[in-house]
This record gives sequence, C-alpha cells and structure tokens, in this order.
Amino acid sequence: MFENLVVFQTASAMAGHAAQSQALISQNVAKADTPGYVGKQMLPFGDIYTAPDGASAQRATRERHLNGSASSTLMAGVDMRGADNPNGNTISLETELLKAAQAKSHHDRALAIYKSSLDVLRAASRTR
Amino acid sequence: MSDFSSARSVSASGMQAQAQRLRHLSENISNADTPGYRRKLVSFETALGQGDRISEVGVGRVRLDQTELSKVYDPSHPLADEAGQYSGSNVNLLIELSDAREAQRSYEANLKMFDQARNMSSSLMQLLRN
Repeated sequence: MFENLVVFQTASAMAGHAAQSQALISQNVAKADTPGYVGKQMLPFGDIYTAPDGASAQRATRERHLNGSASSTLMAGVDMRGADNPNGNTISLETELLKAAQAKSHHDRALAIYKSSLDVLRAASRTR
Repeated sequence: MSDFSSARSVSASGMQAQAQRLRHLSENISNADTPGYRRKLVSFETALGQGDRISEVGVGRVRLDQTELSKVYDPSHPLADEAGQYSGSNVNLLIELSDAREAQRSYEANLKMFDQARNMSSSLMQLLRN
C-alpha cells in the first residue's frame, strides 16, 4: 500500500531545494552592492536529484549517509561567473528577483504535491 | 527551516547596511553647503560569518572622499582668503541623489526577499495545521 511514498521524499527534497535556493538568492540580493562578491546559485533540481526507485540503493544526500558520496558542493550552490560590474560584483538584481519568483513557485508546487498526497493517504486509511 | 531563518537574517543585514548607507548619504546632502566638508564614502563588505554557508553583509569603515574641495568665490565670506575664495564641500548633489535612489531600490529588494522567505516558511507551517 505504501509503495508510492517516494512522492513524499521527492516533494520534500524539492521543497528543501527551493528553501536553499531562496537562502542563496537572499544572500545575493543583500550583497548586490558589495564589491568583488561572486554570486552563488543552486543547480536546477532536476539535474541533481535522482528519484529513488525500488530496485536501486538508498538515496544519499550527504557524504555520511549509507552509500553516500553525493558531493556537498552540489547542494551548497555554485559560483555564478558572468558579466562583472566594474567593481567585480556579478549580481544583477532583476535576475535575482526572477529566480526568487521561480524558487517560490517551486516551493509552492512541492508543498501542494505533498499536501494532496497526504490527503490521498488519509482518504485511503480512513475507508479501512 | 534553518535555510529560511538564515535567509531572513541575511536580508535583515542587507536592509541594515542599506539604511546606514542612506544615513551617510543624507548627511552628505545636508552638508552640501558646509565649507570644508568632505563627503563620506560607505563601502560594503562581507561580515565575518560563523563558518556558515550564508554570511551576512556589513558596512566597512567610512572613509572621507579626498578629492579636491570646490572653490567658491565670495569675498565677503569670513573664511575667504586674499583671492576672495573659500573652499566649499566636495559633495555633488546629483551623485548623492542617484546613490540614494540605488540604496532605496536595494533596500526594497531586500525587503521583498525577507517577505518571501517569511511567506514560504509560513506556508510550510500551514502543512502542520491541517
């Protein structure tokens, strides 16, 4: 009955990814006027997340996990190199606000998936 | 959850830094006619974090702009020298105003980020409620 709980893991991983992304974007916006600051961003969720399927091993998100060698740099964000301002800062406020809106929509989507899966699970267990 | 709290604290530090920048800018503007006044320059730097991934922003040492003071010709001024000139301030109102506008925009962006982090964490909390 509980074979599709993967959806909860995926949804919470996506929400966590959006939260970390929001933290990095906040940092970028706060330092948009700091000379020499190189911005950080998360890689897209689909690129770094591998869904756990039944046959394969457990998913590892940290090095200390069983079977774990997921590099922590992937979850910590990568530097954004690009068009520098004259003071060596790489932040564009407009791009950051756009990315913030994306992070918010990803977070909302993950929470909606989580909530409706929870509703389905509750409905299933209530009829028993 | 700690992501949201660090997001909020870094946004708050950004707002504090921009507010301090705005304060020095208004000092410059109000002293634009003070003889011998040198404009204050504010520079941002990364505050030393606690080994954290997200480090806050802070305001570095306030420096005085060492460019030449403007010469104002007014023989009746008490500070005027033999040539009838005295040194005014080196404040350029146009630069100060555009800098203030930029500080305001950055402040608003930080406020928006703060608000969004708050909204996201409260919608996460809504999951517990029902």
